[in-house]
This record gives sequence, structure tokens and C-alpha cells, in this order.
Amino acid sequence: MRQRSLIAITAALAAGALTLTACGSRDNGKSSDSGSGGTTVTIGIDAPLTGDLSALGLGIKNSVDLAAKTANKQNYVKGVTFKIVAKDDQAQPSAGQQNATSLVADNSVLGVVGPLNSSVAQSMQKVFDDAKLVEVSPANTNPALTQGDDWQNTKTRPYKSYFRTATTDAIQGPFAAQYVYNDAKKTKVFVIDDKKTYGAGLAATFTTEFKKLGGKVVGTQHINPDSKDFSAVATQVKNSGADVVYYGGEYPQAGPLSKQIKATGAKIPVVGGDGIFDPTFIKLAGSNATGDLATSVGAPVEDLDSAKTFVKNYKAAGYKDEYAAYGGYSYDSAWAIIEAVKKVVDDNGGKLPSDARAKVTAAMQNVSFDGVTGKVSFDEYGDATNKQLTVYSVENGAWKAVKSGTYTG
Amino acid sequence: MNELPQQLVNGLLLGSMYGLVAIGYTMVYGIVQLINFAHGEIFMTGAFGALTVYVYILPNGTSMWIALPLMLIGAMLVSTTIAVGAERFAYRPLRNAPRLAPLITAIGLSLALQQAVWAWYPDAKSARTFPQIDGGPFHIGSVTIQTGDIFLLIAAPVSMAILGYFVMKTRTGRGMQATAQDPDTAKLMGVNTDRIIVIAFALGAVFAAVGAVAYGLKYGQIDFKMGFLLGLKAFTAAVLGGIGNIYGAMIGGIVLGVAETLATAYIADIPGMDKFGSNAWADVWAFVLLILVLLFRPQGLLGERVADRA
Amino acid sequence: MAVSGIGPVEPGEGTHARDTHSDGGALDPRGVRPSDSPPRKESWPRRHRRIALAAATACALLAGGGYLYATRPQKPAPAPPPFPSQVVDLTYLGQVTPAGGSSPRAPRFAMRLSVSHGPPVTVTRIGQPSAGITMSSTPAPPFRTKAGSVRKIVITMHVTDCGKVPKNAGLPFVDVTLRNTRAMEEHSFIPGSRYAHDLSTALQVACSNETRHHQNA
Repeated sequence: MRQRSLIAITAALAAGALTLTACGSRDNGKSSDSGSGGTTVTIGIDAPLTGDLSALGLGIKNSVDLAAKTANKQNYVKGVTFKIVAKDDQAQPSAGQQNATSLVADNSVLGVVGPLNSSVAQSMQKVFDDAKLVEVSPANTNPALTQGDDWQNTKTRPYKSYFRTATTDAIQGPFAAQYVYNDAKKTKVFVIDDKKTYGAGLAATFTTEFKKLGGKVVGTQHINPDSKDFSAVATQVKNSGADVVYYGGEYPQAGPLSKQIKATGAKIPVVGGDGIFDPTFIKLAGSNATGDLATSVGAPVEDLDSAKTFVKNYKAAGYKDEYAAYGGYSYDSAWAIIEAVKKVVDDNGGKLPSDARAKVTAAMQNVSFDGVTGKVSFDEYGDATNKQLTVYSVENGAWKAVKSGTYTG
Repeated sequence: MNELPQQLVNGLLLGSMYGLVAIGYTMVYGIVQLINFAHGEIFMTGAFGALTVYVYILPNGTSMWIALPLMLIGAMLVSTTIAVGAERFAYRPLRNAPRLAPLITAIGLSLALQQAVWAWYPDAKSARTFPQIDGGPFHIGSVTIQTGDIFLLIAAPVSMAILGYFVMKTRTGRGMQATAQDPDTAKLMGVNTDRIIVIAFALGAVFAAVGAVAYGLKYGQIDFKMGFLLGLKAFTAAVLGGIGNIYGAMIGGIVLGVAETLATAYIADIPGMDKFGSNAWADVWAFVLLILVLLFRPQGLLGERVADRA
Repeated sequence: MAVSGIGPVEPGEGTHARDTHSDGGALDPRGVRPSDSPPRKESWPRRHRRIALAAATACALLAGGGYLYATRPQKPAPAPPPFPSQVVDLTYLGQVTPAGGSSPRAPRFAMRLSVSHGPPVTVTRIGQPSAGITMSSTPAPPFRTKAGSVRKIVITMHVTDCGKVPKNAGLPFVDVTLRNTRAMEEHSFIPGSRYAHDLSTALQVACSNETRHHQNA
């Protein structure tokens, strides 16, 4: 009897464990076709490839893959073949740190694209910086990642190896506030966030600017991102008399939240940042989402000819998943790494130097090229110099660009 | 403060759902004293069963009035099959093993079910939308009730009444009570305890399926992780109400749901508590309540009516 | 496509008369099989074949050319002009304090507008979205700026209602309507924190009671 029970436990645990490992290994990227010999340089990817945010994560992974393939096809860096290794962080800081450690351990990795979440980035930055391995995030918007925790007063760059192609919330939050107050003429806001690094940070920068403009915050709430029941919060929103809701967080919660707020009879728009700018938001929020707003980093794809080429090539490559909100930025992040590797290889007589990681990190600072999202280069903090933002609104079940802005400060 | 009635209704709805799922925990515990941690996932598979019926079996655009009963049956079929299968193949071989063995099996089963749905159900890697009942919300005074919630509002008490009748009045129900009190004596009295245990698992799954359909209608989306947190809350509700007591499960669920909702809505209004009042803190307050109840009534709100075994 | 077009062109069995498994069937849409045809008709499929050969070669050339054209290295030759918002840059220079002393209720700011490339861009409107202020500029729109050139613009804020003026905006917009041969676009420029600081100081001065004293602060 005892043996039988042991067998059963082992079997059950093994089954569970196997399924888990299967999940893990499934998405670990297929390397791009390694053609001409020479050195192989790996571009690591860290993003949520499973779970709620996988739509964004898979877009990041595929776009980096496309960049690597394009570089290989053009033989862009002579004697170097790029391949990718994708790690799934499930949007968990702990998983992100483990991935960072294993990427550092792989000597062929000379640059990493990712992660999606600012909270995950916080757990990875030091690991990469200690190894002088360059990290370019296509999606992190929290200002502290590049400008230090005290960025409102004194900006200091915490890690020399961290760069990003996305615009920060220091601009995105106020940008949304300006639009909501001045253009949409809303004066009473109910602010909700998910208490995560990204969501809480974005809600804070929005609130500050909204108040400065003369708007009133009629209520605040923090939600539990694991929950789907926001009825209590929705009722509060309705009774607060707010004429707009700002949500700092991501679409898996924003969709149901918008739906439940509208269901109370409060016909007010929900506004969010790039974290809710995904078709899934509209799917989850249902038919009443019309009029909801999102700000997102970058100019709308229709405005950029380079982006149209990217979209065309992405479709031609036949990826199963959409490139999503950060596809263009991911491609540019990967291409920035490729440019930096090219510079290092060219300076070293066509060969990778022994301290390639440190050299690539140094070269990244001066990278400059015309990418999918416009001109790509980095300022002294590692932030993108190209700071464009766009407000999108839900119309007929799709996101439609309503206003774009360029930060030129 | 005309918000209070609405918040109470919100809590009642959330609590009814906890209660429907909690019944599964409490019945299984009452009879075999096993905490079936995979019950949250049985609830989740029920939701996917209902979705399968609507999306892949019924023709497109079927009216919800026709689809809903069929979806309910589909949900029950799937969840019951999985629950009974789990009992037969995972728990029965361990019935005489030390307590920890089935507990760990339950956790393993829970993970396996989650990952199986994630891996093999089409497009289940992110949330899938659940069909909705058309029509605007109903207004009763200052209280708004969504169309999707009507189902829950009707299904929860009806299910409870049926369950009460079944357990108290039918032969099988009395057999269950007997098995819960003392399985060995019940066996001697001619009760087929194996059958009773299977029925307990199946009934729990049926109620979980009703809860799952209600969840889908209420929130409009289901995902492979939905059973985890809800299962945990339902288990809490079962303990709060007095594990082993079916009415306790429902009462515990409602108390928990109302407590969470009121904590979200009102704790922040207490001076000096504004930091602890948000929705994110609701779970904390729910567990504070649980601890308080257990301090003063270790047997839960309604006590363990079924037995006083050592 | 190219491959199937080339297929029947090869001098195969079909070129010789009366070969039963010629691919004539594939060539002749009416399904006339050469083997069954009277000798008189023999020239018909042959001539037909020649036409087909010519057509197939043309097809192959077109397809090949098209393929090369489609997969030519990026930068398509007749690239459409860029959208105006992608080539225009507006940077803040500083507050203007003219010698004559302007009214403190109408602070003025200098901006530099540049067009990096593409066709000339016309600014058809320039404004700002906040309530309580109207904005004018010199030169007054519409004005045209060529690629590679730089234009200095001085904008003047006219406070109309101090009650509505945002006293301390952190990220004020300058809304511009731009037009070039590609499109007309509304775009917001955010000249950054220095402009925000200067603007809010100026607006506070404009709306304070003792305006005269603060004029030169």
C-alpha cells in the first residue's frame, strides 16, 4: 500500500513537473538560421512569454528574432552570425533575475533585449551591470531605472549597462494628464493603480501633472492584480462623480476594470498608459470600451515609413503572434545591439575582442541609426533621445491614433 | 452613503460565488477529511467546458437562453469527469496513506490541470472571452444588478436548496451523513462508502461548475489561472463557515465576500487607515477576519455539524 | 510562379510529333491532344508552343524581375515624402524680454523650428490647449520652412482668464498644425522642463497683482 501511494505521488508530481518544464522549454527560442561560419553572437531576450502578458512578450521575442535574421541575411556584421535565446520571466521579478543570471553565464550572449515590466527590470539591472552585459529594454517606462530613485530632484544613472528605447513615464504620465485635462476637458479623475512599479509610477506622474493643471482627484484605489472582481471599486468610481478614470497598470486588469466600471452605469472613459495599449484590452473590456484612451510610446505606425517596412517584413516572416505594442521598439533595441557589436568588431579588425561585453556596452552609448521608430540613440542616462508619444482612443473595436506629441526638452 | 446597498450586493454576489466553490471543499473534507486543493482547477475546467460548448459545439449566434442550460451541462460534465477521475486515480489509491500524501497529490494535480489547459486548450495562453447575456442592467432603488449576475443570484440559492434537500431527505444523502460521521460504522450498516465518496466529489464538481459559469458571465473572461485565487478564497470561506458543514460553506462565502467588498470601500475612510483600505488590501482584511473568527470559534461560524470525531 | 511558367518551355517530348505523352494537354486549353490530331493540325501546337515559350520567358523575366524588385535592399527608390511631424523639430530657446518692455500679461518665448529633410513644411496653425490663455506667434501662420533650414518663432501668450490658467504645468504643449505634400497633421510639441518653468513663472507674474514690479524679475 505504502509503495503504491509513493508511486502515485511521484507520478503526480512528475506529471506536474514535466508539464511545467514542457512549458518552459517550448518557448525557448529557436535560434535563427546560422549560416556562414565565423563567430556566433547571441542576443538574449527576457519577456513574459506565457501568462496574461504573453501577447506583448511574444511580440518582443519575434521582433528581436526578425532583427537577428535580417542582420544575418544582409551579412551586416562580417563574420558574425546572430542568434537569439528567449527566456520567459512570466512578468515575475524573481524569474527575471534567474533568467539574467543564466544569460550572463552564457558567454556568447553580448546583449539582452528586455524585459517588458519595470519591476522585472529592477531585479535584473544589477546582475547585468556586474557582468558588464548590455541590456536594452523596449518597454520599461519607469524613470527610476535610468535616472535613479530620486529622479524628480537629482538625476543619477544607477547602471551604465542599462538602456531603453521606450519613453519614460516622467513624460508619459504628464502627457496623458495634459491631453485629458486640456483636450478631452475632463476635470475630475479617479486614479487606480495595481501597486506595481510601472502602474503606481505612471499613476503618480499622471496625478501630479493633473493636479498642477487644476484638475481634481476625487478618489484613489489600488487593486489586486490577481483578482478579477473590481465591483467594489467600480461602485466607488460611480459614486465619486468622477468624469474620467486613470488606471496605472496593464490590460489584463484594465479590461475587466473598464468593463465593470461601465457596467455600473458610469459612462466615463478609462485612460491608461502603454500597458493597456493592446487589442486584448478592447476584447476584455467589451463593447462599452468605446472612448477609452491609452497613451503609448512612439508615433503611430501609419506615420512612419520605416515602421511600415517593419510591419511588412514581420508579416512576411510568418510569426504566429502579433508584434503588439513594443514590436518596433524591440526591433530597434535588437538592432542597437547589432550596431554596437558591429562597431566593436570593426574596431578590432573584424574579430570579437576578448572583453566584448564591456566594449559593446561602451559602444552602445554612441549608437545612432534610423530605426523602425525613428532615430535611435541614447542620452547620458541611457534613455532614448527620440521621445514621441501618441494618444489612442477605442473606436469601432480598435485603437485609433488621436494625437501625437514630441518631447523636445 | 447611498453606496452601501450597492456594495453589500457586490459582496453578496462575490460571496455567493465563493460559497458555490466552497461546497466542494467542505463536502470532500467532511467525508474523507481531504483538502482537495485541486478543486479550484476543477472549477476552472468547468468554465472551459462551458466555453467549449458555446464556441465549438453550438452553432454561431445561438441565443443565450438556449445556450446557457447546455453550457451549464457541459461545464458540469467536464468538471465532474475530472473530479471523479481524480478521486479514482489520484486519491483512492492513497486513501489509507498518511494525510500528507493525498495533500501533495492534490497540489500536483492542481498544477497539472492548470498547465494542461494552458498547453492544450486553444488560445488559452491568455484570457478567453466568455459569452455574455445581452440586455442592460436592472435597477432596484439605488442598486444596480448586471444581467450576468442574475444567473448567480438565482443559481446560488436554488443550488443550496437542492443540496439541502438531497443531503437531508434522500437515501444517498443520509448515507453521506452517515459516512461523514463514521465511515467504518456506515460501512457495517450497508452504506457503500466508495460510492458515497465518489458522489461527494461529483457533487462538489457540479457546484463548482455552476460557480464557473457564473464567473464567466460575471467577468466576461476566463483563464487557466482563474481557479487558483478563487479556490484559495473558497477554501477560506469553507473554513470560515466551519469546514464539513455545507450551509457553513455558503455562509462563510457570503461573509468573506461582503467583508472583502466593505474593506475595499470603507476601511480607507477610517482616519489614519487610508493606506490600508484599498482593494489590494482586501485580502489581508479577509484573512484578519478569518483569524478572528477562528480565535473565538475554532470550529468556524456554524461549527462542524457532521461529526465530533477526534 | 516562375517555376511553373518555365516548365513546359523545355524542349521535351512534345516538340516531336506524335509523342503520346506530350505535355500538349497542358498547353492547349481546349485539350486537343497532338497524337489524336490530323497531320494538318500538327503545326498548330507547335506554333502555340512557340507563343507559349515566348510568354513563359516573359513571365519568368517579369517574375524574376518582380522578385528582385520586391526583395531589393530596403530604401525603395520612389520613397514617399515623410510625414511632416516626423521631420519637424521644435526646441525652446528662451524667454524674450524686449527692450521696450512688453506687457507682463503677454509673456513671449522664442522657439526654433527646423525641418530635417523631405519637402518644405508649412505651419498652418500654432496654439496651445490650456484654458485661460490664447497664443499668437511671429511670424504668424501660415509660414513655410524648407528642409535643412531653421526658423525662429516668437510665441506670445495672452492671458484671458487668470482663474483658469494652469499655474504650474509640468509639461505644457505647443500644438502645431503641419502640412507638406504628404499630409496635414496636428502635432503637439513638448518643449521640456525649462520651457515649463519659464512659462509657469511668467504666468504667475502675469496673474499676480503687482505686475509692474515683477516685470523685470
